[in-house]
Amino acid sequence: MSDTLFDFAVFGSTPTAQLLAGLLAGEHGRKVLLVGHNRAGYRLPRGMDLSVAPITRPESWSILTETAPEVARLVTHIAGRSAVSRIDPIFFAQEPHACEALSHIRHMASGFGIAAEPLGQSILGGNRSGIILRDALRLNRPHLEMEFESWLADRSVLRPIPSSVTIGNDGGVQLETPDKPLSARQAVLADDEAIIRWLPLRQWPTLFRRVPSTSILTTPTRALAASVMLELDSGLFLTQQTEGGIAAFGPGERAEFSEHVRALLGQDRRLEQAGQTSYVALATRDGAPAFGRAAGLGADVVAATSCHGAFIVPALARWLTGEASAGEALWFDLHLVNRGDQSKRVDEYCWPAERPTV
Amino acid sequence: MRSQINRLPETAPKGFAGSAIDRNRPVRFRLDGRIVTGFEGDTVLSAALASGIDTMGSHLNYPVGLTGRAYPAISHASLRHDPQFALPMARTPAQDGADFVSLGAQRSRGISRLFQPGRTLGLKLDATHPLSHPWRAATGVAGSSCQLLVIGGGVAGLSAALAGARAGLSVTLVESRAFLGGNSGLFGTQEGEDTPEESMARLSAEVEAADAITVLKSTEVFAIRPGMVRAHQIDVTSGNSRGHVIDIATTHIVIATGSLERLPLFPGNRLPGVTGTLDAYEMATRYGVWPGQHAVAATNSNFAYRLAMLARDAGVGVDRILDSRPETASRFIAFSRAYGIVQSPGTIVTAAGIARAGGTLSVHLDGRNGTPLVTDRLLACGGWQPDLTLWHIAGGHSAWHAERRRLEAQGPLDSIVLAGSAAGYFTRRGCIQSGADAIDQLLGRQRRPVDDPGVDQLHETPDGPLAISPLAEEAAPAYLDAGTGLLQRPAPNKRRFSLAFWRSSPRGLTLLSEAPQPLAVSEVAAGVDLSLVPAEAAGIVAQERVASVPLAVAPTEPRPDEWTPISSAEVPPYLVGRYGENAKIVQIIPDEPRVLEPGALIFPDSDTRHPAHAIGVVLRHGASGTIGLAVAAAGSSRFPVTVREREQITRARVEALDP
Repeated sequence: MSDTLFDFAVFGSTPTAQLLAGLLAGEHGRKVLLVGHNRAGYRLPRGMDLSVAPITRPESWSILTETAPEVARLVTHIAGRSAVSRIDPIFFAQEPHACEALSHIRHMASGFGIAAEPLGQSILGGNRSGIILRDALRLNRPHLEMEFESWLADRSVLRPIPSSVTIGNDGGVQLETPDKPLSARQAVLADDEAIIRWLPLRQWPTLFRRVPSTSILTTPTRALAASVMLELDSGLFLTQQTEGGIAAFGPGERAEFSEHVRALLGQDRRLEQAGQTSYVALATRDGAPAFGRAAGLGADVVAATSCHGAFIVPALARWLTGEASAGEALWFDLHLVNRGDQSKRVDEYCWPAERPTV
Repeated sequence: MRSQINRLPETAPKGFAGSAIDRNRPVRFRLDGRIVTGFEGDTVLSAALASGIDTMGSHLNYPVGLTGRAYPAISHASLRHDPQFALPMARTPAQDGADFVSLGAQRSRGISRLFQPGRTLGLKLDATHPLSHPWRAATGVAGSSCQLLVIGGGVAGLSAALAGARAGLSVTLVESRAFLGGNSGLFGTQEGEDTPEESMARLSAEVEAADAITVLKSTEVFAIRPGMVRAHQIDVTSGNSRGHVIDIATTHIVIATGSLERLPLFPGNRLPGVTGTLDAYEMATRYGVWPGQHAVAATNSNFAYRLAMLARDAGVGVDRILDSRPETASRFIAFSRAYGIVQSPGTIVTAAGIARAGGTLSVHLDGRNGTPLVTDRLLACGGWQPDLTLWHIAGGHSAWHAERRRLEAQGPLDSIVLAGSAAGYFTRRGCIQSGADAIDQLLGRQRRPVDDPGVDQLHETPDGPLAISPLAEEAAPAYLDAGTGLLQRPAPNKRRFSLAFWRSSPRGLTLLSEAPQPLAVSEVAAGVDLSLVPAEAAGIVAQERVASVPLAVAPTEPRPDEWTPISSAEVPPYLVGRYGENAKIVQIIPDEPRVLEPGALIFPDSDTRHPAHAIGVVLRHGASGTIGLAVAAAGSSRFPVTVREREQITRARVEALDP
């Protein structure tokens, strides 16, 4: 293979993208490019990486609980113990459909050995139901990003800054860089931003929906009931920041989202915005994650993985290289981005902003 | 002892006697219980500074200076518990007999031991929101409306207002201070121009005389979107200062908010006595306030030399100018050499500290081991950054200009334009012309080129890069900006041993993304200079982290009474297919009376527990009992099952629900 031809070009800035690039190069011996900036050190959060998620299908919980310990070992090896923290996130809801979904999530999580306890309404306020999921793992993105640099370099993952990118109908990709042109046999678009920026429109899957989303950071205020909280009614995540602020992100236009965060955190809490941004996130029409080649032959995509995408990356890397177990292969095959077989539904709970309108 | 120890004499030349104050009308008021004296025309801040109060309090165990850009909110003592009556210290007029208290932070007792009594407000600035502006949370009252709103009463804003009036628009001009004119004074005159004072006075008089222009002084805009701004206005018509938050509806907006002076990065860059050159100039020319008898300037910009000469003329000793640029040329530099001011090119401040209680600073320099300079005042200038705060709040974009090392606005915004130095212009002529150009832009008229005549770099060296000292341990904090954010320079956390009984001091910020306060545009610029923010992302970060106040929108979320009810046999999409294509809705009849929870899994026997082996799931409890979804085979008559709810097992039977 020439020094300008690679097996995979992974696009993305999230830990999912970076872990995937490193695993494809290290554990699976592929030649890999990674296109994406580190950004957790200076941008507002738009996502997080948890070993639990608002998922209801046993097959999905099975994949997640099998690979999560593998990811925890890997990131600890890469970046030490501070790369991952153990937290007790709270999922909560008020709207009847969301409350019901919450109950399904709790029973399924319990079935997979995760201590998922119901919460009293006094903790959440209003007429809300909630569950607390004990001992979940959370990746520390800013810390990991710094350590990924050398880990990826050790695996000879090249990180070019291309001036142009052309993804072909066969999924191959050509990159123009200041030094020399590079190419890869297969493009993998590993997060929403990468898909929106790079996926050719002719390959755009009908499964995808663009969801206006917002991220807000507040000035320091009274601490949350848990370091991570997910409101199932809307898909809004709240996270307690190290310096006392609260970051909130999820579906919604900025003004409405801001009002909703204010209402959620309580009118008695003194709240000022320390940052805010609007962006477009991707959702799937059935709420389930999507993998595989867009339009059947094009770029590989990794989409709608909620907050647990990073924790299934080892299985994804095995599947992309044809080394997946039978169970893993079946799960990814069912979650192909061009799925349409009504007899093999994989729907997950969708929040209202992500539900199809027809 | 003189009560106004930092007030320059009435005879001070070059305008340093203070144009805003009337020395024939003394005022006397209380601030945090102590008597402060000043003159009619003073603000509470200028009177406090004139009276020797130059310290806000302590942050991370070090004192922080009280300046024109960083001050606490205050309130009338009788209204201190109601945040809606909070006032900004720098915009609130000093009123005879008033009783003010500072707000927002606890008092410190210990810090006063380090200083002369009365020098500090004694605020503990480690608390949350130490310098917040409580009025930002208030809802605006609908104010007047206009066709053109101009924000900023400097020469660009004045020019824009006049051009708008000439175009037949009804104009409102909003200025945060109690007077028009802006900050052109510091920057001097170019060949063929009138003096800045003459320009400012002429334009101000024309605006004041124009019938089509309404001027709102002491009014600061803090939220903006196309068609509307929200502002905090100080009203003194009742005899007492009262704050109001008003919403002004408008068709067009010109943002002419000028430039912000950046802060060189060195430990101790916000100690009492360290101040920006523009702040020092404005305090001197508007209020006749100049703390100390000796000053040192540290700069990367030519205008500090002009200030040094003006101060010398006013009788203040500016002993030395430290310029981070190794080679410089400027008419100001040549003149200041003639004044006998010692110039040290290629020199940066590595740290500032308190030399003696009472306010003397020690200034440590690179390449000058062990012999710091001692001075009353350090005039620190790190260059200039267009104030794009409102532009970013409105949704405007910006990008880092690598050569000028500053963020500059990019692209258009619907019905909002920039003018003056906020738009990136450098000269007074350019700023004035840009005001008229802004109106041409807004009205879709043909634009004329703006003449912004810069002097050849051979004769006028441009601003240098921000001076950045190496990271130092055990030194006063280095802040990224001189504003209200108190954002320290982030530094990597060091591993340290800790003892269980020892309470460690607060650890500094390690990442800009974790800063729990908005980032001022100058802080983002400093982040770029420190390589904490990639230059190509600077505009995005500045827009993301601007201090925004959302202007209200109509609620779109459904109320609880509008929620869609769940029908008893509804199967949510996330359960479709889980128990096969022919899964059935079933009734679950527990052997003992019991309400089963939605989501509880149904197993064929009590030995099975893995969710993958479940044959059904409880949907909900309805009027007819518990409803579930189960594999087709379980729909036969009274099929025995086990329902698992956490560790509890319930034996039950299922039967197909009548269609």
